[in-house]
Parts: sequence; structure tokens; C-alpha cells
Amino acid sequence: MALDTPTALPEPTTTGAGSTRSTQDGRVGRPAGRTGFVLRLVPFAVLVVLAVVGPYLVNHPATSVVGGQSEAPSGEFWFGTDANGLDVYSRVMTAFRLDIVIAICITVIATVVAIVIGLVSGMYQGDRTVLGFVARLLGRAVDLVQSIPVMIAGLVIVSFFGRNAVVITLALAIVLIPFQARLMRTEVLRTRSDGYVDAARMSGESELRLLLGHVLPNSARTTIENTSTIFGMAIIFCAALGFLGVGIPTPTAEWGTMLAAGAPDAAVGRWWPVLFPAAALGLSVWSASVLVAAFVGRSRV
Amino acid sequence: MTVREPDIVDDATRAEAERLAALDTSLTTRRRSVRERLWFLRPAGLTVANVLVFVLVSFFLVQLIPGDPVVSATGGRLSGAELEQARESYGLTGSWIQQLGTYLTQLAHLDFGTSIATGRPVAQDLATRVPATLELVFWGLLLASAVSLVTAHFIVTHRRNRFAKLLTAYARSAGALPEYVIGIAFLFVFYAELHWAPAPSGRLDPLLIAPPTVTNFPMVDALIAGDPAAFASYAQHLVLPVVVMVVAHSPLLIKMLIVNLDQAIDDPATRFRVASGASRRTVLASIYRRALPSAVATLGMLFGLFLGGAVVLESLFGLGGLGQYAVDAVNASDVFALRSFLLVTAAMCLVIYLVTDIVTMLLDSRRRAGVAGKDA
Repeated sequence: MALDTPTALPEPTTTGAGSTRSTQDGRVGRPAGRTGFVLRLVPFAVLVVLAVVGPYLVNHPATSVVGGQSEAPSGEFWFGTDANGLDVYSRVMTAFRLDIVIAICITVIATVVAIVIGLVSGMYQGDRTVLGFVARLLGRAVDLVQSIPVMIAGLVIVSFFGRNAVVITLALAIVLIPFQARLMRTEVLRTRSDGYVDAARMSGESELRLLLGHVLPNSARTTIENTSTIFGMAIIFCAALGFLGVGIPTPTAEWGTMLAAGAPDAAVGRWWPVLFPAAALGLSVWSASVLVAAFVGRSRV
Repeated sequence: MTVREPDIVDDATRAEAERLAALDTSLTTRRRSVRERLWFLRPAGLTVANVLVFVLVSFFLVQLIPGDPVVSATGGRLSGAELEQARESYGLTGSWIQQLGTYLTQLAHLDFGTSIATGRPVAQDLATRVPATLELVFWGLLLASAVSLVTAHFIVTHRRNRFAKLLTAYARSAGALPEYVIGIAFLFVFYAELHWAPAPSGRLDPLLIAPPTVTNFPMVDALIAGDPAAFASYAQHLVLPVVVMVVAHSPLLIKMLIVNLDQAIDDPATRFRVASGASRRTVLASIYRRALPSAVATLGMLFGLFLGGAVVLESLFGLGGLGQYAVDAVNASDVFALRSFLLVTAAMCLVIYLVTDIVTMLLDSRRRAGVAGKDA
């Protein structure tokens, strides 16, 4: 995935953010040793493994009624059953694939599109050409999309274009693009005036090679670092849509819809239909941040 | 920065002091040009333009939907002349230019059209729903600011304290747990187990009669009607959702405050005040004055987050505000209600951003357009 690209990037960033980063806090900076690095890969690796094999780990069919209503966890139903008599364990495990795949797709699409938008709007926004106009338009569009809450924009887009995985992925990718594009634009604006970009331009390199060979590698770092946040937001907002009842339609197993179905149970003291999907959600968000921290060091407050 | 002997005031120190004095606009009585006096026009104009863009976006969203909105909302029951009549009444006949004309004329009269699902005017529904949501968001923002300010102050002034480190970890967790998970957890603890909170169904105790609506803000209406029981019930039903919002979202504000306060503390201006022997109070006041503009900007962003969170929390706690209206509209494929929902939400957010922009510029005149030395 796009998440492993930072390994290729760190060395050239010597200006600005790169140098101040390590002086902030004792724990900031390089990850501690090789074992620490490997340990931080474990949670996300577990997540990917669960996404691959999760649907095979079930002991009951995930989308059909297998037991009584709201039964407490037992040997038969490890995580209990929900208000409809569906097995919570099987549904949590099955949902790993759907939720993780959607979140990864959202993260990749949002980051790639945002990098392109950030490059164009950062490099050419001052130009008095057609490209400059397009760049300013893109910048404005990014600001406008970000001016409405993610939750509300996602809700409206999904409700207008249909409740399926593709629409949800694209809708959330669109509303999360601004977060990445702004970071990228800021970095491009900083990189644009660096000496080596001028040098490359004077040596006659084409504009495309200039962008891809010099500006991109030197400005993508913060955007790549932020992918963990985007992944977390993707998981959370995808589940939030499900929670509101406008996500992936039931009975497909998805953490958000499971939480919505379990909320009335939780309100009368039955914790199991919501605890396990919530834990799966939390694990996903946490493991992505640990993964990126393994490559770039702990983020500062 | 080197610390100078306080009694030797050289040119550089005097220049620094003058620069600092110039930053405090309240202290300077310099004549300003017309352009500087009308600095607020540019952001205001930009906001109007942005709202107009959203008018167009909301119009074209309905145009872009696959299929006919009237057919899908009525489940295909209408046909022939009836369908044509229905399309006519929703302004869906003619070329898209004509439709846009109809839409803009309607909006100019503050008419948001009629809901397909309920047949009621959307504007009327929104007038009752928006205040209920704003009440939730307002209390959430107020409490979150208070909590964040106290927490950030404590963390910044007690760096080595264990409790402060715990709070820092909490601030670092910003956005890790969504409000609906926290909401369910709190419902379980405070309603199901401890029985402290009222049932998560509606704003008012079912035994009470709602006071007459005047402002549509439930708590304000109860106050106007002089109905303490209704007021207490409204407030009680709001406590848990507001606390959930504060717990879920204040880490972000705390985080921003810490960063800004740290920057303000490291600022040469602060060191100058410390070096010249100013009292702790003066130094703190100067630090907060420097950190405040960015915090206000974050508050504007938080409004958007809270509004999005309100949508989710309303459906969890059954508060019946704007969010539940939108969810109902989605389930009824009511595109006209949704279109207005998008427009009203966007307009509210843009206006709030404008207000935060203007407040930021009032606090820090360097941020205004057309002010000399803007790059400082």
C-alpha cells in the first residue's frame, strides 16, 4: 500500500519541519531500534491478516439468525448474540475485510488525488496562465469541500448516489481529500522556492520531471505521515454512516450498523453487542497510527 | 536569545519594545486608510460567494442523481399526468436553466421547496430543527472551550506533573474514539447502570407538556414560558450528549492550545517581558493574547465537527434536531429536504468561519488584508 513509501523519502528533507521535529520532545525522533520498529508493524499486520482470513474464522453464518435474542457470551456464541439473534463474533470477524478494504481504498484514493491537487495548486497558483487558473480553482474547491463537516458531506453524497461500498468509498475519499491536499500544498509552496528546484529547471529538465523527480519526493513526507489519520477517519466515518443507517445496507456485517443495532441493548445494560465492534474499530484506528509511527517516529502534540 | 542587562536600554531593545507596542492595536492611535478600515469587507464578500457556490452545488446534486427523484421517492406510484403535475410542483420541468431559475427565485423568497416525504414546507421544518441542534452545539462548544482552556493551562504550566502527562496523552488521542462509541459507552454507564441520565428518547420528559414555541430554542422557550419543570427536563436530556461531545472533541482543542501556548511562550516578546521583570500575570496575559487568535480559528473548525457529531448523537439520543431530519430524509429518498439541509448546514458553517475570521483579525490586526507589514 501507499503506507510503506516513507522509507524512500526521509533523507533529503533537511530544511524547516524536518530539523525542528526531533528537538521537540525526548520521545520524538527515530524509532527506538530494530525490535521496536518490528513491534510497531505487528498491530497493522494483524489487522491485514484479519482482513484476509477474518471471514473464514467464523463459527456461525454472519448474516442469518443463529440463536436467541441478545444472549450473553457463552461457549456457543463467544461474543453473544445481538437483538436479532445474529452471532456477534462471526459478524465482527466478517466485517474486518469490508471495513479495512474500504478504509484502505479511501486512504489511497484520497492521498493520491490530494498529492496531485496539492502539487498543481501549490506550484502554479501564482501563474497567470490557464494552468494557474486551474490551480487556483482547485485550491478554492478544496477549501469549499472542507468548509462542510465530513459527516454531513458524506451523508448527503451517499444518500444522493446510493448506499453501496463503491459510493461510500468515493464519497468519503472526496470529503477527506482536502485534509491531505492542504498539507501537500503547504509543503509544495515551501519546496517550490528551494535551490535544487531552480537548478533543475535551469538545467532544462521538463516540467513533469521537475514535479515528479524533485518537488514530489521533497514535499510528500507530511502527507504520507498523515495517512494514518486519514485511515482512522475513514474507518470512523464509514462506521458512522453505518451507524446512521445510511451505510452498507443490513444484513451485511459492518461495525457501524452493528453499533447502531446494539445501542438499544447497551441502554438496557447488555454490553456485548457493542463492545466487540467498538473494540475492532478502536484496534483498527490505533494500529494504523502505530504503523506510520514506526516509519516516521512518534508524532508530537 | 540573549538576556540583556535590564538597566542598559540599547537601540535594539527600544526597537523591540516599540514593535511590541505596535502589535497592541488598542494602544496605537495611528490614522488608518479607508482600505484598512474596511478590512472586513473582503472576507464577508468571499463568504457570500461561497454560499452562492453551495447554492449551485445543491442544485446540480439533484440534477446529477441517477433516475427521477419524484419517481424514486413515490415508489413509482405516479404516472402520466399526475407525475407531470408532481414534477411541475417540485420545479423539475423544463430545461435545467429554467429549473435553476425556478430554484433561485424560490431561494430568494426563502422558500426551500416542499418535502416529498411529508408534504410540509422544508423551511418550516428547518425552522424548528435548526435551533434544537444549535442548542446542543452551543453548549458543547462552550463546555469544550472551558475544559480545554483549563486543561491546556494546567498542562503548559505543570509540564513535569504526572497528571499533566496523563492529560497530554489524552490530548494526543484526538479523534481516536468517535462520539458514537463514547455515546454508547456513556449510555451504558450513566443510564443503564447508574440511572443518572434520563432515557435517550427525545428532549422532554413524556409526562410534561412542551411550552409554546417562540424562538424554537427549547430551553429559551421554556424560560420565556416560565416553566421550570420543562426547562430542567430539556437541560437534563442535553447533559449526556453534551458531555459526550466534549469528551470526544476537546482533545483537538487542547492539542491546538498547547501548541499555540508553547509557541507564545517561546516568543521573543514573552522572553522580553520576563527579562524586563514583568509580573507573572502580565506575562501570562501576553502569552494568551498571542495564542488566542489560532485558538479562535480552531473553535470555528470545531463548530463544523460538533455539527457533524450532533447528527450522530441526535440519532443515538433521539433529540430530534437537524441531524435526525436529515437521516429521515435519506431514508425517505427526500432529495429536496436533503438539498436544503446541505445548503443550510453549509451556510451556517461558512457564517461561523466568517465570524471566527473576523474575530481573529480583530485580535490580531496583522492578519487583516491591506495592513502594512502583513508578512511580519
